[in-house]
Amino acid sequence: MCPDKKIDRKADGAILAAALITAAFFATAAAFTAGAAASSATEDTSRLVSVQHLPVDLTACSSDSSVDAGLSANFSAPGEQSLFAALQRDPSQRGAGQQARPYRVPNSEQEEKDAAEARAHGARTPLRTIRDTAPTYSAVAVDVNSNEVILQDNNLWEYQVFDRLSPTPAGSNDISQPKRTVRGDKTLIQFNNGLYVDPNGDIFSVESDTGDKMVRFARDASGDVPPKAALHTPHRVYNLAGDEMRQELFATVEYPPQVVVYRKDASGEDEPLRAIAGDATGLDAPHGIAVDEKDGLIFVNTWGHHSDVDVAGTGKWFPPAIKVFAVNASGDVRPLRVITGDKTQLDWPAAMKFNPENGDLYVANDIGQSILVFANAAKANGDVAPARVIHGPSTRLRNPTGVALDLKNKEVWASNLGNSSATVYPLMADGDVAPLRVIRSAEESKRGVNFGRTAAVTYDPIRQEILVPN
Amino acid sequence: MNHPQIAVFARSATENTTYLRSIEGQKSLLGRTMHDLGFDAIHDEIVVTSALAQAILTFRGAANGEEAPIRSIQGDKTHIRGLGVTAAVGKVTVDPEHNEIVIANGDNTILVFDRLAQGNVAPKRILGGPDTQLKLSGASGTCVRTDPIHNLLLVPTGGIAGGRVLIFDRDASGNTPPRAVIQGPVAMGNQFEVYAPQLRLVSYPHGSNIEIWKIPLNGVSTEPPLKIPAPVGRGGNTETGIVLDPLHKEVIIATAAGNSIMTFSVPEVYDEWPAAHPVTSTNSAQK
Repeated sequence: MCPDKKIDRKADGAILAAALITAAFFATAAAFTAGAAASSATEDTSRLVSVQHLPVDLTACSSDSSVDAGLSANFSAPGEQSLFAALQRDPSQRGAGQQARPYRVPNSEQEEKDAAEARAHGARTPLRTIRDTAPTYSAVAVDVNSNEVILQDNNLWEYQVFDRLSPTPAGSNDISQPKRTVRGDKTLIQFNNGLYVDPNGDIFSVESDTGDKMVRFARDASGDVPPKAALHTPHRVYNLAGDEMRQELFATVEYPPQVVVYRKDASGEDEPLRAIAGDATGLDAPHGIAVDEKDGLIFVNTWGHHSDVDVAGTGKWFPPAIKVFAVNASGDVRPLRVITGDKTQLDWPAAMKFNPENGDLYVANDIGQSILVFANAAKANGDVAPARVIHGPSTRLRNPTGVALDLKNKEVWASNLGNSSATVYPLMADGDVAPLRVIRSAEESKRGVNFGRTAAVTYDPIRQEILVPN
Repeated sequence: MNHPQIAVFARSATENTTYLRSIEGQKSLLGRTMHDLGFDAIHDEIVVTSALAQAILTFRGAANGEEAPIRSIQGDKTHIRGLGVTAAVGKVTVDPEHNEIVIANGDNTILVFDRLAQGNVAPKRILGGPDTQLKLSGASGTCVRTDPIHNLLLVPTGGIAGGRVLIFDRDASGNTPPRAVIQGPVAMGNQFEVYAPQLRLVSYPHGSNIEIWKIPLNGVSTEPPLKIPAPVGRGGNTETGIVLDPLHKEVIIATAAGNSIMTFSVPEVYDEWPAAHPVTSTNSAQK
């Protein structure tokens, strides 16, 4: 079953035209538009803060309806409104069960500037701020042709590029120096999780929440630069895998759960070539994904959260699992095999990578604080123990959610969400092994806060503690 | 969204302060995305939804690590509808005084469960129908809150974009009209809060002002809010969370896109106001 294409394109030429304009925009002029959006937002937001003053009495702060109207209009950046209005109207179901959402362009630099300006004019400043000033590395990739390691940062909305042989920082407070950083509103990078580097060095990064997009950068991109291409994806995408043989990209969507498959060069409003979705698939909160090009398989791990978005009371939990599908699977198909059970040690499994040379499947196992390696993964089925487990205090693994294989140099990399680092091991490492090298963007003792979209908060007055969910 | 933990910090935590503990992992049954949660200070419990599994989870107040909830509500009798187009099941509140858990449901209803409900149980009350005027829309669903002192249930209708706040009797059920309305438009982030002793609703829309609205007990209030400029920077213009700390007269703001939690001193939420800020209301809350 391909993603539902119920849209009557002939019935709404305006929408189609707008979508085409949007696609052209992404292909050719992302930088200009991002800048324009920021500029437009600047004007409106500046208008907002300029009228705010510290209350000299309580009535001085009462409602100003004109300001509110401006704010409401500004919730979607004005520069984007005409361009993205079509996306909001377009019911083309961006993947099964999905409703089209507006495509949000980050405007963080302007928001920070506006806040500073407002505070300078007397607005209240926070007494305390809980946040992490170091990167939270959600994904890792290796470019063997340039000898570089790419780390995706979920906190500061960037990716950093390091020399693959960057030595472990000497002092406990020293950090590794990146060769390049791609960061800023023009990059469109926000809560990006999935990362893929193709043989040409192009970097594909997919966003998981507020952005709903996959961006593609050239190897040498640096600074606040627009991507060479951007693809509007379904909401709640988690991970990404590439199939060079078929020139396709695979992305997992947490909910409504599915795997969507795009042409590798898809951009703008291109729709998936096909999708795996439906009750038979067992795709209950899919996360990591890996491709076995040789055997024509894909591996998808799931956390087990199940429900039908359209039917009340259908919630269930299933154990975590790795589900195996044919690489060309489409629609509501059953997995060929399922790896699940206590022996697997799966615990919030995240990114996965497949080694075509020996059939090993590597799994970043977030809560297990481990990298699991399943041998002969193409044939594995049921409650299978991993052949090797990288785990233990010597490994310096801390909430690993990214994994990458360097088959040229026989190494496996892990990105550690919990301590702002990436660690590399011999490809066949097993047990409590020390990393060969560590790329670190914070002190050695760093324990990150693991924030990733802190959308709510509550307070425990008993212990005087603040509870923050992701 | 990568790692759906509930991290717990000391109130005094600041930049780069490590959390004291975190609830996480398969056994926790937590998943994306937690747009709301509540703390029950009488029974020392945390209440949150597991949206993708159409469930309500209750944890010990001191839960730590990969810990299972002490109770969960899930199944076909619950009527809980999942996250999706409206995302409404993400919002939950707990009323410890009356031993109830309240959620805004994806089918334009308010479901009320016994706090101690466990498993596949029906709600003890369902509020919904045309006379209720409920419109639980918005990309992130609708937050609900109770006022246990005045026995009120507050339900916004406009989400982030702003709309009316419907005020029901706390134990209203069926197709019951609201007893009062804040005409607004009351914009808000993912959450709003009620400071019951002063009959005030506190919201944080649009990243710049904390807004304090008077809650009418009857009729339609058109009174504008008191606005406290309190910008948060990155992420302020997207989804935000809010909670009150009455003891220290503080308001705590979470910014989704900002990945930050900011605490402001806002005594105006808690203190008496001069008489010059009355709530005006009409005689009827009907449309």
